[in-house]
Amino acid sequence: MNETVLSLKQRFALSRFMRGEKPANGALTLNQRRIFILPTRQGGGFIVLIILLLLIALTYNNNLIYLLAFMLASVFFITILHTYQSLAGLVVKPLQTQAAFTGEKAGFSFSIQNPSDQERFDIQLKLETETLLDIPPHHHEKVLLFKSTKKRGKLQAGTLTVSSCYPLGLFRAWSPLRFKMEALVYPAPATVFSVFPESEGFEGENGQSKKGGDDFYGLQSYQPGDPIRQIHWKSYAKGQGLFSKHYGGNAVADLWLDYNQTPGHDVEQRLSHLCRWIIEAEKIGLHYGLILPNKKIPCNHGPSHQHACLEALALF
Amino acid sequence: MNSWIPQKSLIFMLIALGLITLPHSQHLPLPLFLFFGLLWSWRFIAIWKPEWLPGKTTVFLLMLTAIGLLYSQHQGILGRAGGTSLFVIALGLKLLEIRGTRDIYLIVFLGFIVAATEFLYQQSIIMAVYIVLVCIVLLATLITINGLHAKIRPTLKKAGIIVLQAIPIAAIIFVLFPRIEAPRFKWLEAEKNQITGLSDTLEPGAISELGLSPELVFRVKFEGDIPPPAERYWRGPVFSYTDGKRWRESPNRFFKRYMDTPRFKGKAYHYTLLMEPQNKPWVFALEMPARFEAPLQRNGFYQLTTTKDPAQRAEYNITSYTQFNTGYLTKTELKDTLQLPGKPSERIVKLVKQLGGFDLKPEQFIANLFNYFRQEKFFYTLMPKKMEDNPIETFLFDRRYGFCSHYATAFVYLMRIADIPARVIGGYQGGEFNEAGNFLEVRQANAHAWTEVWLQGKGWTRFDPTTAIAPERVEQTLDIEQQIATRTLTIVPPEILHQSMDWLKRAKQILGSVDYSWQRWIINYNRASQQGIFKHLGIEDLKSIIYWLLVLVGTATLIMARFILKHKAQPVDPAVKLYHQFCQKIPDITRKPGETPYSFAARCRQAYPKHAETIDRITQLFVKIRYYPNSPKEMLEYLKKQVDHFSCT
Amino acid sequence: MENTLTPLLNAANQIILGKDRQIRLAVCCLIAKGHLLIEDIPGVGKTTLSHTLARLFGLDYQRIQFTSDILPADIIGSSVFDAERHEFRFHHGPIFNQMILADEINRSTPKAQSALLEAMEEEQVTVEGQTYPLPKPFFVIATQNPSHQIGTFPLPESQLDRFLMRIELGYPNREAERALLLGKQRHKIIAELPVMLTPEQLDELQQAVTEVYVSPALLDYLQNIIDFSRQSDEFAAGLSPRGGLALLTASKAWALMEQRNAVIPEDVQAVLPAVAGHRLKAGSTDAASIVAPILENVPVV
Repeated sequence: MNETVLSLKQRFALSRFMRGEKPANGALTLNQRRIFILPTRQGGGFIVLIILLLLIALTYNNNLIYLLAFMLASVFFITILHTYQSLAGLVVKPLQTQAAFTGEKAGFSFSIQNPSDQERFDIQLKLETETLLDIPPHHHEKVLLFKSTKKRGKLQAGTLTVSSCYPLGLFRAWSPLRFKMEALVYPAPATVFSVFPESEGFEGENGQSKKGGDDFYGLQSYQPGDPIRQIHWKSYAKGQGLFSKHYGGNAVADLWLDYNQTPGHDVEQRLSHLCRWIIEAEKIGLHYGLILPNKKIPCNHGPSHQHACLEALALF
Repeated sequence: MNSWIPQKSLIFMLIALGLITLPHSQHLPLPLFLFFGLLWSWRFIAIWKPEWLPGKTTVFLLMLTAIGLLYSQHQGILGRAGGTSLFVIALGLKLLEIRGTRDIYLIVFLGFIVAATEFLYQQSIIMAVYIVLVCIVLLATLITINGLHAKIRPTLKKAGIIVLQAIPIAAIIFVLFPRIEAPRFKWLEAEKNQITGLSDTLEPGAISELGLSPELVFRVKFEGDIPPPAERYWRGPVFSYTDGKRWRESPNRFFKRYMDTPRFKGKAYHYTLLMEPQNKPWVFALEMPARFEAPLQRNGFYQLTTTKDPAQRAEYNITSYTQFNTGYLTKTELKDTLQLPGKPSERIVKLVKQLGGFDLKPEQFIANLFNYFRQEKFFYTLMPKKMEDNPIETFLFDRRYGFCSHYATAFVYLMRIADIPARVIGGYQGGEFNEAGNFLEVRQANAHAWTEVWLQGKGWTRFDPTTAIAPERVEQTLDIEQQIATRTLTIVPPEILHQSMDWLKRAKQILGSVDYSWQRWIINYNRASQQGIFKHLGIEDLKSIIYWLLVLVGTATLIMARFILKHKAQPVDPAVKLYHQFCQKIPDITRKPGETPYSFAARCRQAYPKHAETIDRITQLFVKIRYYPNSPKEMLEYLKKQVDHFSCT
Repeated sequence: MENTLTPLLNAANQIILGKDRQIRLAVCCLIAKGHLLIEDIPGVGKTTLSHTLARLFGLDYQRIQFTSDILPADIIGSSVFDAERHEFRFHHGPIFNQMILADEINRSTPKAQSALLEAMEEEQVTVEGQTYPLPKPFFVIATQNPSHQIGTFPLPESQLDRFLMRIELGYPNREAERALLLGKQRHKIIAELPVMLTPEQLDELQQAVTEVYVSPALLDYLQNIIDFSRQSDEFAAGLSPRGGLALLTASKAWALMEQRNAVIPEDVQAVLPAVAGHRLKAGSTDAASIVAPILENVPVV
């Protein structure tokens, strides 16, 4: 933990209370520097109650009512400490981010750890969405919070507010935290699917790849129309029903998605189309590559390849 | 704030409210209490049957009913009873309209107010403890809202801890918070309770059974010595006028003597008298009060009275001397104390004559009279027969069974026939010493009547004819419980009193002492006692009060903060401690956190082959102790020895 | 115990040269009642190892070669129509043996893989509503080609969790290689191997594993490892509760093999790469480097 010393001016800057200090790299421990406490509306009501009790005590000159009022006033003081304690010591760590397409919500996951012996109740974590959780002693919870995206690129996590009103709800302790954490925002996929662009060796008309070739692909239940020579007779003989052998593999040609050959009026539209193509190509298992004016990603398939392509689009 | 309310919160809240209003059943008008009970039960059932909750119209109708009930019972909402009823009913109505957590908060806050009103009726320590416990449940209700999944026991525990931590701070504020004596409003005056006490007349012949009550009248805390039992006469009303049957105070009690201070001598007793609520402004001081403060006054009969409301518990500082001389007799006194209802009968005159009333000195006559009581068949009883006509004669010649009043009145009557000024004094005699609290407790059963005779050169002198017939009544401690049970004069045997006080008695004394401190320091704490403390602390103005308040509350909070926020250190295995010591003793090699003892030992062996044997032995010992079952204690000691002696140089 | 396992280990070391550690881990896995996954390129002696173990433990042994067209019925068996008796009769598949070598398991389709893994998990096979218990003891040694080879279906992570350990054999060192080149053909030696362990002895060993003492201090260490794996950035997902349990059982078996009646941190560290490697990072085979941060950072004492 790299705790820098704050200057007096920084210490009392309003943004510290609401937005948090400048983004941190790793885990943050909630301590007196980051936890702020103010009475809630109920806390205000409690003060009114105490004043009312004091008035009754005064008019009747009743020492026990005085004592009750003072006890509640002390409860009020003590609750500040207890509310502080409900957050103090918690360790919040940024975990992964979930990329999203523009307009959808990007996910940010955090781990929140309770290293103490006391259970923490009703800890609220709020980014744009919020969640409420209890953390047993020496435990940690993972939370996934979302933030809506407006434009492609990188989305900063912003301020994560951890707060709690436990135990009495008279005070709210909160801690605004900022992490160096950003989620990728891909372009929104085009709503209209346009035909894959033609490229060398690839003759897909509607995105269907041709099954065939030499590599055994697997067994599938027999469909009327499957060629007879592909029927797996061995299993039929065992009384397991009709299966046909499917082959695939090298017949799948490489699909090159080129920015310059993508329809669209402006950059965003073109990226949208590319994005849609990548999704569709991945869905049907094509080998595809991406050519951007500044980058070229060789053909491949698989989730990590798809991510690499979409990332290139996001950061274009 | 969400509008969903956990069932647990509702149950907690309703139980707390039920507990709070329960003691109000004693003083709330029954219809109002039943009405609240109805609303409460309604809400309780609705936890499981939410569809049974009333609609808007029903609630409105219930509200009208409530207003009607309030009006019919109190004709107003001002004052103690009216206000209490209003809060209770408002609480009940609000119960049926819970829409969100904000309403729960409102109800809980109202609950605190209703709990406070309880103290307007009862201020006992038990009630205070009860209310604190109920407050814990109320606070637990708030916890259930803010910690939805907290279990019941931890919730109550948390609330309990908060209250426990609050009490010391509350005590500091209680002492230092500036008190203002608020003006008393007539409409706030509490209704008078029935308080028993001494009557302002004395009519022994009309009583067939003495009312004995263990009820406390006052407590006395002495600075220094306590007067012996035979001198513990607590002076009350003085009965001078009689019609033959009934004795009354003289109407001349406001007639002050112009030389009104007796001459005191001997030992001075300084004491604090804590009077329980009384129906008369009499303050029972030890005979004879010499110094006292306002609001006390002394009337012409040397009786202390207070100008404050006797129904309020009050504390007085008084100094008394048991030896005194009141000096001469005024004319009014003479007239008052020789008064006779008519011509005495011949039988009585004959008796006085026989005892030398007309010829001997008054002292000799009194001694003869005492002897007469002792030698003739007179008996002390708590259950005399009624003596309606001519009670004194009947008592002296026919029945001869009586208690203190019989003897005192007869004695005074005989004195007056012999032309000696005499009068009956009412009050209390004795008192039980509470060893736990070091004070005397005087109860109703200690009520007594004795006499005063004016003697030349001595002034008014006390004579207690009861001592002639039952000296133990005065010289020893009454066993009040036993006396009430058996209806006979019962004295605690002196050897028992001092030697073996049984645990029950001891417990009673401790309780009595706790109650005394409670009354004295909590209930009776006021502006005057606060001034005393401020003087002690050197606090003079409001500024320094606030300063002290802030400093003390701040310190208490800081102590509390340390207490609350400190992290519990994990208990460290002593073997681990020793092992760490051992690791530190090896120069140039530091153990990596993930390194196992054996691989560390291997590295050490290589670096220090001379010590290979010791290193191995220590490592093996440590592993055995830490990871093997049931390693004997000696092993740890052995390891300690090995580590202590280990050195690489 | 020394008497029972030491000769066995020695004998195994005669067959598979220079792989002492892997053999120990494999034996440890068997006495901990776990299944073993061996991942390596073809030809380094995976089959030899499993065959040797089966011989030495005296277990019925069956090898199932997984191919791309193998069907679940080829593994567990199928109901075959008996023309003479006019009824279906269950034909027991190769899985009904005490020790199965599932060779090149990632060559088959996920369907066939899961047939085996389900049987492993439940210790029984259900065909057409009829349940057939598997023999006891029942061990599976599965071998897997490195996933970067073509035409493979690597086991998904959820399935990998069912193997107590994953080990890799690696090339023999120069010395061992020379001995191998000079020596007799391995499968002939295996055929001549004596049975070293009776079923009762194996049962006793397995029972003894459960009785090895685990101190609270060791459990702390174990839990710290589990926590670390869950919180560290290095791993996408930490050890599952089943993974933690596996680590404990394997450590106990290792302690027993080291002739100790209590587990010490060395045992945990010894089995950790084999037990945790495939659970933390399925793709990588370098178990040692996977668990290195755990071994380095989790304090032992």
